[in-house]
Amino acid sequence: MDSDALGKQIEELKLKDQLQITAFSEFVNDVSLHFQIIRFPKQIFVWIGYNSAKLGHMYAAATTRPNNMVSVTSILGGVSDNTGSGIAHRLVLKTGLNIILSCSIPKNSPMIETEAEKILIRKLISLGYTKSRLGGTSL
Amino acid sequence: MNIESSTSQFPVSHFNFSRQIKGNETEIIISSYEDHFLVIATQIGTMGTILYARKEEGVSINPTFNVSVIFGKRDEPMLVACARQLIEHMSLSGSSRPLVLSLGLRDHSVETLKGIVSAVMDHCKR
Repeated sequence: MDSDALGKQIEELKLKDQLQITAFSEFVNDVSLHFQIIRFPKQIFVWIGYNSAKLGHMYAAATTRPNNMVSVTSILGGVSDNTGSGIAHRLVLKTGLNIILSCSIPKNSPMIETEAEKILIRKLISLGYTKSRLGGTSL
Repeated sequence: MNIESSTSQFPVSHFNFSRQIKGNETEIIISSYEDHFLVIATQIGTMGTILYARKEEGVSINPTFNVSVIFGKRDEPMLVACARQLIEHMSLSGSSRPLVLSLGLRDHSVETLKGIVSAVMDHCKR
């Protein structure tokens, strides 16, 4: 078996092994927040639903060259409302992976946004998707 | 602040399965939201190129569709064709929800794209 075929097989095993879908809901301040996390080997898709199953606005975020700064762009839903773009940005920082985030939290709800982000980060840590901090300090 | 985990059914249904398409192991995830369908087909470990396809509301009998790339490769017409096929099939099955299609594929050949379309439509029928 040549090294190309072997490399491909290893990648395919990684894909099957690491593809994980997590879905859960939490009730916060009279609002149902729904979370769907799909983990790929090098990327995470997250959906945050606010009281409904609407897809919401979609953002793509990743580190970009030359200095690994995080860039976020809106890919669906227009640019007048950027609720969720901050969450996408911080998810890249926490996980080190490319993020596609879809979020239907309405604009001007900073409390809900903050709470949703907290719940999400807590879940990502518990699933082991976050980068461990240098120096091993507690999270 | 009242925080409790909901035990009622999750509002978004999703299922995923694997299929061999032209020798490449393909993971397919289909997620159904209130106002969209999300279909992810990956062979490379990432979501790849993301396309958006929707049926246009028009007066003529034959529906028209609008397909565009919203993230990723914009110079691969086969990806757009794949999204176009899928949205048309879905529309014929009675759904008028727009489709967000994510394709992370090793090759963009006709066979692969046909394989994706048939894999997704097989599962949508169930």
